[in-house]
Amino acid sequence: MGNTTDKVKILTAFEGIANSRALATYQNHGGYEALKKALTMAPGDLIEIVKNSGIRGRGGAGFPAGLKWSFVPKAEGQKFLVCNNDEGEPGTFKDRYICELSPHMLIEGMAIAAYAIGAQKAYIYTRCEFYEEIAWLETAIKEAYSAGFLGKNIFGTAFSLEMDHYSGSGAYICGEETGLLSSLEGKKGQPKLKPPFPAVSGYLGKPTVVNNTETLASVPWIINNGADAYRAIGTEKAAGTKLFCISGPVQRPGVYELPLGYSFEKLLYEDAGGMLPGHTLKACIPGGASAPVLLPDELKGLTLDYESIAAKGSMLGSGAVMIIDTNTSMVRLMEIIANFFHHESCGQCTPCREGTGWIANIMHEIVSGHAKEEDVDRLAVIAKNMGGKTICALSDAAAMPTMAIVQKFGDELKAYIRKGKAS
Amino acid sequence: MSVFSESIVTKINGYLGRYETKRSSILPILHELQDEYGWIKPEHLKGLSEEFGLPEVQVNEVATFYSMYRLEEPKKYRVLFCDNIVCHMMGADSAMAKIRHMIEDFEKKTGKPSPVSLQGVPCLGVCDGAPAMLVNKDRFLKVTEHNVQEIVSRYLDEASA
Ligand SMILES: Cc1cc2nc3c(=O)[nH]c(=O)nc-3n(C[C@H](O)[C@H](O)[C@H](O)COP(=O)(O)O)c2cc1C
Ligand code: SF4
Ligand code: FES
Repeated sequence: MGNTTDKVKILTAFEGIANSRALATYQNHGGYEALKKALTMAPGDLIEIVKNSGIRGRGGAGFPAGLKWSFVPKAEGQKFLVCNNDEGEPGTFKDRYICELSPHMLIEGMAIAAYAIGAQKAYIYTRCEFYEEIAWLETAIKEAYSAGFLGKNIFGTAFSLEMDHYSGSGAYICGEETGLLSSLEGKKGQPKLKPPFPAVSGYLGKPTVVNNTETLASVPWIINNGADAYRAIGTEKAAGTKLFCISGPVQRPGVYELPLGYSFEKLLYEDAGGMLPGHTLKACIPGGASAPVLLPDELKGLTLDYESIAAKGSMLGSGAVMIIDTNTSMVRLMEIIANFFHHESCGQCTPCREGTGWIANIMHEIVSGHAKEEDVDRLAVIAKNMGGKTICALSDAAAMPTMAIVQKFGDELKAYIRKGKAS
Repeated sequence: MSVFSESIVTKINGYLGRYETKRSSILPILHELQDEYGWIKPEHLKGLSEEFGLPEVQVNEVATFYSMYRLEEPKKYRVLFCDNIVCHMMGADSAMAKIRHMIEDFEKKTGKPSPVSLQGVPCLGVCDGAPAMLVNKDRFLKVTEHNVQEIVSRYLDEASA
């Protein structure tokens, strides 16, 4: 099977099309044909197609979507599908773009996913700061109901699906899937220990699939075009297209739909137009605030897929490519990252609660000129002790970027401490 | 006497029956109250349990956990400025300093409390438009020390007029 890293427009198919959010526009371009087709197939066959497409979750962890769907018990009973539209990972703004371009693509993908896993009810959970986007989603849900794509007996089949929207309220931890489900239950957004996984026991203890917006919005294309067509895009292990959010001092920051395995340098220098005049590349955080920072040397020849970025010791994460320039102090950047994770830790696990607090404290001491050079090494020791012992991955997400900054910019941190300020 | 207006009571009742459990209605009801009254008053929290049977501990748990709920009387205009990674690199610090300055100036000149408050918040999910801020529900992008004056003075001027 030949893999291509040429650009294909799947999630951004509606770029440049007028009134792209409207149901009529979506239908004029073949919208809801995939759902119609899916409802003629057996749910198990749909899951096979999604498995064979090779699509992995786009929310950050990269778990194979079809495999997750297959974990849902086949027995009859109440089941749920939840779209994770919380988009809280710093640097990430791609799910917002899907809401802006094609909310119906998401709704259609959700209806197909719900049918495949046997869910009768689906929720979209969005961070509340996306006021406009939420209004667009709610409008699209209403339109889909009026046209009969949601509700009872869709396309005259036995399949019925209810869909509702739910707003978060300013808590990053609600992006973590079990935290999100707690929030949806009307509780504090505190994560729960896994197993059991949500696919077996999720919302209200019922089998629940939680998928990211981008994952679900890719489903209609896969059903229309087939697993092989999707698999032909990207790399052997990372199939399909991914939305990359490039930001920072570059000419054209924005969302770019690129085949996985695309060249980092092409994204930065061609798609995004390179650095702004007078700015020089210092480093890049390739996958959201949780991803370890990479140096210019490590970025040379880098391709944007799960394996290649992991090989450099970082991660593709949510696809948030944050470009850092030489005017930026890594001390301030580390302080921002430390404050963020400290503020967002839900406090259930000691290593996370205490570790994020200590790191934030040390960074505060450094920035305010009260630290000693040894404190930089203490950061690494604290971070090392935060991994692997917690309910959710936030603790790791805070520890990993800290270790990378200490390792790669330790000298800059120490120089700052000696001078009591940035050089 | 209800502490809620009639239209809000209708909305609350709508939410109470909308989800699988009553408890799920707490977040949306609190959003609704905040939209209506600007903030969530102590008597609202009590009222939800007394008039609608939502246990006060459950309501309080939600109201205090989530950072977007306001439990104290807010200023008329609440500026939430993103001070996270990208906005920081693109100039959030100086834009925020300018807003702080404008607020102080306003209070000095008019002797009145500022109708505008400023708070730093994590990434708003619009980093391609960094630096970004919300004024209540309105989003502003590419807010720098050069254009922030024009945006924020609108809100301040309204109060001094
Ligand atoms: C602290 C934390 C925050 C997260 N935030 C998000 C988020 O904002 N959006 C998202 O889709 N996934 C987020 N995730 C990942 C989810 O837990 C989950 O893996 C994902 O929603 C599954 O969907 P996917 O398989 O389609 O990616 C977060 C995970 C952690 C640990
Ligand atoms: S790791 Fe941190 S955020 Fe996650 S559950 Fe534990 S304390 Fe909460
Ligand atoms: S970092 Fe400011 S909007 Fe994302």
